[in-house]
Amino acid sequence: MTKLFYTLKKEFLLITRDIHAVTVLFVMPAVFIMIMSLAMRDIFDLHHTFSIDVLAVNRDTGKMSGAFLKAMEELPAFTVHLLEKDAAVEKVNEQMLSRDVKFALIIKDNFSAFVDKEKGDKEGKPLELLVDPSVNVQSQMVLRSALDGKLAKLRGDAFIDRIGGFLDSAGIDKEKLKAAEESQVEVHYIYKGGRSFKIPSAVQQSVPAWLVFSMFFIVIPLSNTFISERGQGTLMRLKSMNVSRFVLITGKMVPYLFINAIQVIVMIAIGVLVVPFLGGTALTLGDSLGGLVLIAASVSFCAISLALLIASVARTTEQATTMGGGLNIIFGALGGIMVPKFVMPGFMQDLAILSPMSWGLEGFLDIFLRNGSASDVLPESLSLCIFGGVMLMLTMILLRRQKEI
Amino acid sequence: MIEIRNLCKSYHRKTVLDDIHLSVRRGSIMGLLGPNGAGKTTLISILTGVIGKDSGKITIGGLDLDREPGRIQSMCSYVPQTLAFYARLSACENLEYFGSLWGLKGKKLKERMEFCIDAGSMQAFIDKRVETFSGGMKRRLNLAIGLLNEPEILYLDEPTVGVDAQSRNYILETIRKINRERKTTIIYTSHYMDEIEQVSDEIAVIDEGRIILHDGKQAILTRADAVLISAGQMGEDAVKALQPREGIRIEKERIHIKRDEHLSENMAAVFAVFHDRGVRVDDVVFGQRTLEEFFLKLTNDRLRDEN
Repeated sequence: MTKLFYTLKKEFLLITRDIHAVTVLFVMPAVFIMIMSLAMRDIFDLHHTFSIDVLAVNRDTGKMSGAFLKAMEELPAFTVHLLEKDAAVEKVNEQMLSRDVKFALIIKDNFSAFVDKEKGDKEGKPLELLVDPSVNVQSQMVLRSALDGKLAKLRGDAFIDRIGGFLDSAGIDKEKLKAAEESQVEVHYIYKGGRSFKIPSAVQQSVPAWLVFSMFFIVIPLSNTFISERGQGTLMRLKSMNVSRFVLITGKMVPYLFINAIQVIVMIAIGVLVVPFLGGTALTLGDSLGGLVLIAASVSFCAISLALLIASVARTTEQATTMGGGLNIIFGALGGIMVPKFVMPGFMQDLAILSPMSWGLEGFLDIFLRNGSASDVLPESLSLCIFGGVMLMLTMILLRRQKEI
Repeated sequence: MIEIRNLCKSYHRKTVLDDIHLSVRRGSIMGLLGPNGAGKTTLISILTGVIGKDSGKITIGGLDLDREPGRIQSMCSYVPQTLAFYARLSACENLEYFGSLWGLKGKKLKERMEFCIDAGSMQAFIDKRVETFSGGMKRRLNLAIGLLNEPEILYLDEPTVGVDAQSRNYILETIRKINRERKTTIIYTSHYMDEIEQVSDEIAVIDEGRIILHDGKQAILTRADAVLISAGQMGEDAVKALQPREGIRIEKERIHIKRDEHLSENMAAVFAVFHDRGVRVDDVVFGQRTLEEFFLKLTNDRLRDEN
């Protein structure tokens, strides 16, 4: 135990005193998480709270426009900025340009009358939409549909109120009729693998993705230490001291398990505390601490075993950096780290299964996004452990052949 | 202390050690000389249990290396030619780590560390990171780490490479002191003949995987310390006249006269033959720097490149 304790202490000191290792393992992923969470926020939020700014001028003299504007403001897709009632069209145009707002809605003075009457179109259209010419047709259609929908709802409600007496006598509940507003369309995203799927937010994608990526980057410090031990004859000295293979390999693995654990804590803390502070959304963690520990430990074991194999194959630190770094980038690109898997075409999603980073990422998303438990991440954890086990076995065979330890 | 019999080792069908026989006395310092690629490091690697042998028998301290490698390793220590420690750790942290691997802990570990710090004269920089050390300081630490387990046998593979004269002298003094005070058996390889002359009791010369000379230092120096007479155009007559004499060896244009009890009469005979036959004497060297010359002679003075 003493041997193992001092071996662990030695490895910790070596890692913490290696400024390049600390940068690669902690600073790089932290910066990536912050940048990506903020830079990709709007793209990911298309699926959640994509908001279109709309300037509004309410010239209506009745009460209905108030209810209409309130209903529009309740829609998460729009943010309504009300201008003064008598604002001229020129001023509205000016405001659109200066505030970089693509739409302006003018509620005409006949709005309430239009809503209240059965055939209001005789008196002209109650809404006028000013549109920046750079706006695409789809965005325009989204807003027009929402306006039409809300207007139709308002008119429907007004109609129900007008025939309220008849409905009462027929025993029909007016309020129930009015309440049927929610969309009756259920949306499901299509995703390879047939699993239940939710689109992650930018931070939910970035934190686990760059966390997994950085965990695999322990290949750099681990192989550097290992190769310099071999080159400087330290391994030979250790072998002459009858130090067992178990102590040597465990001495390499355990400190990096701790380092990976610290990475997990730090990156999650950044997702929960720092990203919201910078204007992004906070990372949600799910409820399964056991699942989180299981998937984190599995990713760590897999990453360390792969790093040990690369350290055994490479003869120089340059070789290890090229091999390890290159392999990590390929695994990252393939495994949905750099580009989320759900935006990949089908065949690329099929290919992603080849990357252990993809297994790790899916595991973390199971916990963070899908509120999964330890049993939900068991398939990914098993895959990672089997892959790690094979890597470790190859390492041992290679080292025995090289007579290194 | 160390008995090696019929030791053979090959790498990829190339014989590296060929039927080595060697005995090292307990408490002696044996200088192991050999050109690059002669098999010195392979021999030490086998003795330290780092690599296996193909055949032969090795007993160390009465123990069979094949049967009890662990016990043998625990009574030996190996100081490699390379600086085999961690540059990002301090000297103290390195000693603590390697000491723990020898199974030392607590008070005993502290005691041994203090001894090694003292032996390496490292008090002034014990808490500094090794990456800031000079070459001499690093060499002293390399040696100090090798002393942590109070070894009965110490293998030193070129322990003074690349250090200044002061550090080199200090290391050699330390080696002698350890041998004198603790009766530690030391096997010492070096390319510096003067070092071998300074510290060794015995000298073994290895070349092309074979021990070609093994004797006490004095015996070898006596053998090496011949008088060399260089002469031009000796002629067959002179060679025939001198060749039968004991203590005289003729080689091309040089005559080696052994420094023994026949030295005076052999020198007189050589000069008489030269005088009678009109042979011109170019130079006479009275055994200066002859260990190196002797070594070059033994191993042939052609360049050796590692294969």
